[in-house]
Amino acid sequence: MELRGHGLAAEMPPGWEGAISLESSAGSVALAEVGGSLRPVAHLATFPLPSDRGDFGSGAVELMRTEDVFVALLEYDPAEAGTELFARRGLPRRLDPRLFSPAALQRGQRGQAGFQEFFTQAGRAFCLYVVLGDADDAHLQVRRVERVLAGVRIEEL
Amino acid sequence: MTIVVGALVVVVILLAILVAGLLRSHATILRRLHELGAGTELDPGVRVATPDPGTPTTTRVVPRTDGTVPAPSPDVPDGRPATDVSGVGPRGEAIAARVVGVEHDTVLVFLSSGCTTCLGFWEDLASPQLPDGTRLLIVTRGVEEESPSAVLELAPPGATVIMSSSAWDELRVPGSPFVVLAHGPSGRVVGEGTAESWAQVLALFLRAGGDGRLGSRDKAGADRRREQELDRILLASGIAPGDPSLYRSSDATPADAAAAETTPDAATEER
Repeated sequence: MELRGHGLAAEMPPGWEGAISLESSAGSVALAEVGGSLRPVAHLATFPLPSDRGDFGSGAVELMRTEDVFVALLEYDPAEAGTELFARRGLPRRLDPRLFSPAALQRGQRGQAGFQEFFTQAGRAFCLYVVLGDADDAHLQVRRVERVLAGVRIEEL
Repeated sequence: MTIVVGALVVVVILLAILVAGLLRSHATILRRLHELGAGTELDPGVRVATPDPGTPTTTRVVPRTDGTVPAPSPDVPDGRPATDVSGVGPRGEAIAARVVGVEHDTVLVFLSSGCTTCLGFWEDLASPQLPDGTRLLIVTRGVEEESPSAVLELAPPGATVIMSSSAWDELRVPGSPFVVLAHGPSGRVVGEGTAESWAQVLALFLRAGGDGRLGSRDKAGADRRREQELDRILLASGIAPGDPSLYRSSDATPADAAAAETTPDAATEER
């Protein structure tokens, strides 16, 4: 099953689903109304994604079971591409389970662990944000995340 | 030579008579069909042969979207494979929902913006009251056949709506409203049909043994609404996410309060 939209695409392994929408924060929407543009947000998950969810997965991560994982890929202003925060080149496709921590969660949920990395690819600036349903099972769950990341493509716009 | 030419002329005349007879017969058939009402409008829900110039004849299904649903086609087998659903949302988002090979069951409700029977479904699905472990997906035909703005206007808050003609075709949906229940682990269709109202559909679920499992979704929804209301009140009072006062309990010591105020903010602002 493939997901494609807004210059992003993902071939999803069995058990995964996803959505690619435009950012929904109030600030971004307000900026878009005065001439700015909304940037895409991709959500990939091993559980049913609710329609109401924040860009970093609020509203969705609360529904995760311990065996679930959640991935968000958020684009930032292209002017940020290559800057210090986004200095890393390319989407990280191999992740270190030791870097996952409850402190990295945008929305703290008991037992979960998070990770985020900023990077530049195809002249576009992104943040990869990952939530594991079970911090104690990070090694196994990270392998699942890597499997879906292997099928993610970022196209030049 | 004269004999051969004469024979050819006779053959041509005979063939011309044969062709004229065939054309006349064809015209008679068309006239009779027209008198019976065929061809004046597409008969939705019936397989229609669609001549496609330059290519072999193709067959496609034109589902009804007027609130009437024909009897299920006899060549649709029970327990047939379900399918994952990919399409776009009414706001233009790309969506790929997994239906097959998952732990949860999925109720796919096929609706259209134009059928009057569907209107009640659109309204009732704001609170679907489905059994736990069952997911609701509302599926309309794709943007080439449905108006996203009309669908957006009807879509219940919080419901996942996917515009996908391929889902209609792959699941051989005969019209709207139509409901398909897919069993996630087996990836099979375990129930399908239509009803006058969503309440009737729910009654089918109850008869299937789903009673006693209803209600907890409402509890979760109530919690969510309460949390949203509290967030709204806090924001109106100038207390934003990360505000130190949120992490100070009423019986905290001054040292605790000071520690809470030095807690570093999250690396990234919540979007």
